[in-house]
Amino acid sequence: MSAALSGEDRAESIRMIRDSAAAVAPPGGDMKRVRDLRFQTPGFDPAVLRQMGEMGWIGLRLPEAAGGAGLGLGEACALAEELGAALVPEPLIPAMLTGSLLAAVGAGPLDRVLSGEALVLTAWQERPDTLDVPGSPDAPRRFLPMAAGAASFLLPVREGGRIALYEQQAGAGLTTEQTQDGGHLGTLEPSLATATRIADDIGEALSLALDEAALLTSAYLLGGMDRAFAMTLDYLKTRQQFGRIIGTFQALQHKAADVRMQIALTRASIEAAAATLDDGATGDARRAVISRAKARAAASSMLVTRECIQLHGGIGYTDQYDVGLYLRKAMVMANLYGSAALHRRRFMAVSPEVEE
Amino acid sequence: MDAIRIPAPAELDALEDEHFRQVVRAFLHENYPDDLRNPPKRLHWDENRPWYMKLAERGWLCPGWPKEHGGLGLSPAKQIILTEEYERYGVARTNDHGIVMLGPLVIKYGTEEQKGRFLPKILTGEHIWCQGYSEPNAGSDLAALRTEAVLDGDEYVVNGQKIWTTLATDANWIFLLVRTDKQAKKQEGISFLLVDMKTPGITVRPIINLEMHDEFCEVFFDNVRVPKENLVGQLNKGWDMAKALLGFERIFLGSPRQSGYALSRLKILAERMGVWEDAEFQDRYARLRLEFEDLKALYGTFVEKLKRGESLGADVSMLKILQTELFQAITDTMLEIAGENAGLLEPMEGNRDLNIGGLFIQARPATIYGGSNEIQRNILAKNVLGLPG
Repeated sequence: MSAALSGEDRAESIRMIRDSAAAVAPPGGDMKRVRDLRFQTPGFDPAVLRQMGEMGWIGLRLPEAAGGAGLGLGEACALAEELGAALVPEPLIPAMLTGSLLAAVGAGPLDRVLSGEALVLTAWQERPDTLDVPGSPDAPRRFLPMAAGAASFLLPVREGGRIALYEQQAGAGLTTEQTQDGGHLGTLEPSLATATRIADDIGEALSLALDEAALLTSAYLLGGMDRAFAMTLDYLKTRQQFGRIIGTFQALQHKAADVRMQIALTRASIEAAAATLDDGATGDARRAVISRAKARAAASSMLVTRECIQLHGGIGYTDQYDVGLYLRKAMVMANLYGSAALHRRRFMAVSPEVEE
Repeated sequence: MDAIRIPAPAELDALEDEHFRQVVRAFLHENYPDDLRNPPKRLHWDENRPWYMKLAERGWLCPGWPKEHGGLGLSPAKQIILTEEYERYGVARTNDHGIVMLGPLVIKYGTEEQKGRFLPKILTGEHIWCQGYSEPNAGSDLAALRTEAVLDGDEYVVNGQKIWTTLATDANWIFLLVRTDKQAKKQEGISFLLVDMKTPGITVRPIINLEMHDEFCEVFFDNVRVPKENLVGQLNKGWDMAKALLGFERIFLGSPRQSGYALSRLKILAERMGVWEDAEFQDRYARLRLEFEDLKALYGTFVEKLKRGESLGADVSMLKILQTELFQAITDTMLEIAGENAGLLEPMEGNRDLNIGGLFIQARPATIYGGSNEIQRNILAKNVLGLPG
């Protein structure tokens, strides 16, 4: 099992997954593909999602017995980071969440999800900025990323003290709203009468899957801020004003140093969280490190991408220049699976004491 | 506490890391004076002398020095463990410039005669050193220093002024960076000189700082005659030598310990002031907590590098900036919630855990010393980000 890997083997395994990410996220990204998919329906390329399935990414975290690759969160975060650097629009993280859920209950369309043949979205959310799953039978399920491309939806529904799971085929009852990054969020009206009940009790599995999705989202944001800053540094080293390279100005140098520190803290926080979970942390210990990482990534992704626009000046405000794509992506992803404020509250609730 | 046998000094480096940590804990428990734990101010020689002499007597004084020179010969990884345990126990800093700065420099660049003359006297506590680097017009721009040493026969004649010389009133020797070539490029005309503080022409004047403490001094040199055999290393190579000595110890400037200490005191204060449960305060505290936790994680990545035997890059400057600015942000928050107590000179209610103004003042110089945070940002910009000019 992945958690037993030694430090060196883990580093090698992470290096391999980063290399393999190039199949979908080439070095420097494929910004033409990203731009071509913006504001289209479904906003991603189903063939690329299938490719992700073939490469074993959707089941990356699942045990081999369940059709997965049996890898740890260290590897999964490295992969998400590479995809974030290239702004890959395919909804891998929601697909992984669904895969974890189905593998945990041993039911439903797991094979089709893991192969990337079908996008199945877990429709757990009923209100903004929450990690709670009330499971109301009739409440619209909201904020479903890339919902127009989904073949079906999984609906958690509270029955007595438990959360059961239903599968509802796509078709009626879905509306969508476009998002800043060129994707969209869907709202689904549940229709339990036509849905299939596939599991009795998914509460614990779903809460774990949501936590992992929060961490992977953090890693995706890290990849994006890192790449946006690299572009910005290149710009600071070439752009001239007042007869000088603008990167020689101390005001800009210090801003750049501050951005670099935010990125370093974000990376340290995410890697610590992944390592803590790969070492087997559960319960509050798990929630504490994930909330730390997500609070950091949400806040720093916005700070870094904002500063990258500012450091570029006017060119950064044009849609044609790629750095703006990173800001728009951060606007959409920073608050997914809990905003910074939500995760700060949760962190304090589960980890009230300082260890001196 | 289980009795842990404390091995002979020469055996310490061979211990397995966790065992070594337990040995350090036992050593402190056995030897460290209780009344010196977590002192609110930097101690003077008369206060920390008993601890210094205890370390000397047990052979623990110089953890980083090679064994053949009387040190413990500890690896960087073990030195970090030692420091972590000292910090955890609240061990006060000693007058350690001879141990940390001069000793390693003499070991690396000194002649055999100099090693024999100076190292044993550090080990016995006979020589207490202070560091004469900064000058009134050479602070952040240290290479602009002007205190000059001119050779006259067998002696250098030193004239000039040093400032911010820590605990100079306690010291009987001082190591100096002096200008020995005024024509050369500023970094290339500097030499390294050892001076007996009893030499005629030296005047030491304490400076009272914002803590109302006389930790720093000015040291004046008026035709001070220094034997030329007190020059260490090559003439005009002092700058490179001093710089080469900035080793992995730089990591300690970024140790999150001060912030951890301050954060737990902030909580005690918030409870005392009745604001702990306020949602607004909770969010502020959570932000500080998360800065602290992520800084600890980042610090940990640098420690891991050292443990793997790698050397530190310029990016270690990040730790210093983050830790010192966090320490300040925490103490800023203390002042804001303390009401009129913020202005008290002494700890509130006589409780050392509620040392509001004291901690706030202590946090001020952290962003100035050891290379100001502005200089650290310049270093990051140029040496880590590769920005020009």
